[in-house]
Amino acid sequence: MNPKIRFMNVSKSFSLYRKQSEKLFDIISLKKDRDQFFALRNISFEVNEGEAIGLIGLNGSGKSTLSNLLAQVIPPSSGMIEIKGETSLIAISVGLNNSLTGLENIKLKCLMHGLNNAEIDQIKSDIIEFADIGNFINQPVKNYSSGMKSRLGFAISIHTNPDILIVDEALSVGDQTFYKKCLDKINVFKSQGKTIIFVSHSLSQIEAFCERVMWIHFGQIKMFDEAKKVISDYKKFINWFNLLSEKEKKNSRKEMLDEQYKVELIPSNSHIQQIKRKSKKSNVAFGIQILVLLFVVILSASYMLL
Amino acid sequence: MNFVWQVLKEQFLHLNLIFRLSIYEEKGKYAMHYLGALWQILNPFIQIGVYWLIFGLGIRKGSPVEGTPFFLWLIIGLVPWLYISRTITQGSNSIYAKVNLVSKMHFPVSVLPTIIIVGNSISLIPMIIISFVIALIYGIFSGIYLVQILYYLFCLYFFLFALTLLLSTLTTIIRDIQIMVQSIVRLMMFFLPIVWNVQNFPELFVGILKLNPLFYIIEGFRHSLLGGHWFFEDLPYTIYFWSITILVLTIGSFLHIKFRDKFVDYL
Repeated sequence: MNPKIRFMNVSKSFSLYRKQSEKLFDIISLKKDRDQFFALRNISFEVNEGEAIGLIGLNGSGKSTLSNLLAQVIPPSSGMIEIKGETSLIAISVGLNNSLTGLENIKLKCLMHGLNNAEIDQIKSDIIEFADIGNFINQPVKNYSSGMKSRLGFAISIHTNPDILIVDEALSVGDQTFYKKCLDKINVFKSQGKTIIFVSHSLSQIEAFCERVMWIHFGQIKMFDEAKKVISDYKKFINWFNLLSEKEKKNSRKEMLDEQYKVELIPSNSHIQQIKRKSKKSNVAFGIQILVLLFVVILSASYMLL
Repeated sequence: MNFVWQVLKEQFLHLNLIFRLSIYEEKGKYAMHYLGALWQILNPFIQIGVYWLIFGLGIRKGSPVEGTPFFLWLIIGLVPWLYISRTITQGSNSIYAKVNLVSKMHFPVSVLPTIIIVGNSISLIPMIIISFVIALIYGIFSGIYLVQILYYLFCLYFFLFALTLLLSTLTTIIRDIQIMVQSIVRLMMFFLPIVWNVQNFPELFVGILKLNPLFYIIEGFRHSLLGGHWFFEDLPYTIYFWSITILVLTIGSFLHIKFRDKFVDYL
């Protein structure tokens, strides 16, 4: 089996700013001594072709950050990500233009995915059929209920024919009938040998659907193993946590979160150093280029004026 | 030069996407209007009419500019300017306006300003043809000089691409710049040879105004449609225009590539 997705020592940190001006200062200054929050720290794993992976964890443990990294929507702060094939992220807040109608949104999103008009006409009816929101398809999206929005978003994303599908809690807003429909569709994808990453809080959904489950705990992989094993351990943890007193709950949460603010020395391997050296070199070349251009500009300007 | 190539390559790789999306957006713009696409022509003509009344009949009392009827002289400067001002203000906002829509998918953000440039051209090209016809009605045909229009269109597109790439990146990071751009564009019209002939001003003053690359383009349109000058006759000015354009493009593509991963964070 060849791995479709490979993460090597991937971390993602976010800078925290107290004021708007700090943000600007951070852009200009070269020193990076801001408060950092590590949403993910040193994650390494592999996913094979045709696998369905479940992603579980508490709120704020980094599930959505990981799914954004998988969809290549955001870049990692450090580490390497190798992804073979097209990814498609399905999230609750899928980017729809609120002032356009559902139908126009379908067209716009498909165009943005690089489809041509003939292809769009072909899949348009499929999408409308799948979303099944009736006459609302001709209404502006701002009038939609949250369920309708997610149905339309899901229908569009799933019809763009990705190799890797990332479902980020998108199904939790739909009703049971829509959920069933989506599951059938995802199963078709699975049988076609496509890779699926499934983020959810519903353990029964995950258990029914995924072979392997990854449990993310405050930015790190706590377990990545067979579904049954991980889910039973996760359930044990939840039960244990719920039995704690309020004070203990608070303390253990705080302890884990504090851990995420600590800056950890990232293991620097030769590859990263090489990239750094390369970017330094290109920065110097860029500086020279700017100076030469500036010189020509000033020279020709003074010739014009004098 | 790496950054510039990378950005240019993205444009060429996604040419189909750019054309399809810009046509889609232009169609959508007037979809709710009864007159539809007619506004693309009507709107500039109303503006031309206003400027002609104020500056042509009001201030100049209808006197011609260097032998050219003022109305014709005005139209040839105003047509590219209306396009430029619209494209700069919309283009510099293009990434900010769309980042929400593209944040959850793989999308080459650098084509967003280009989509505005191409989309707005749908009204520019017919307007240029109309001004050519008006010149013919006045009995002015520039002959071989007309070929230059292709060169100056290329200058126009290249400069706007460089500028909107830079501005769209900056306005996404620092929102204040968008307001600044709007005010500067509104003001700049009066520092260009659009509604009045700046050649009457002191030479040094004209020289300073000429440092604005848009001056080169507006003058170029007049040279192409009215004739009399070749673009290579004023070599230092041509060198100046291209070096500053490439400078803007280099800085723009550098900043764009450095910051595009962070666009989602800056919202």
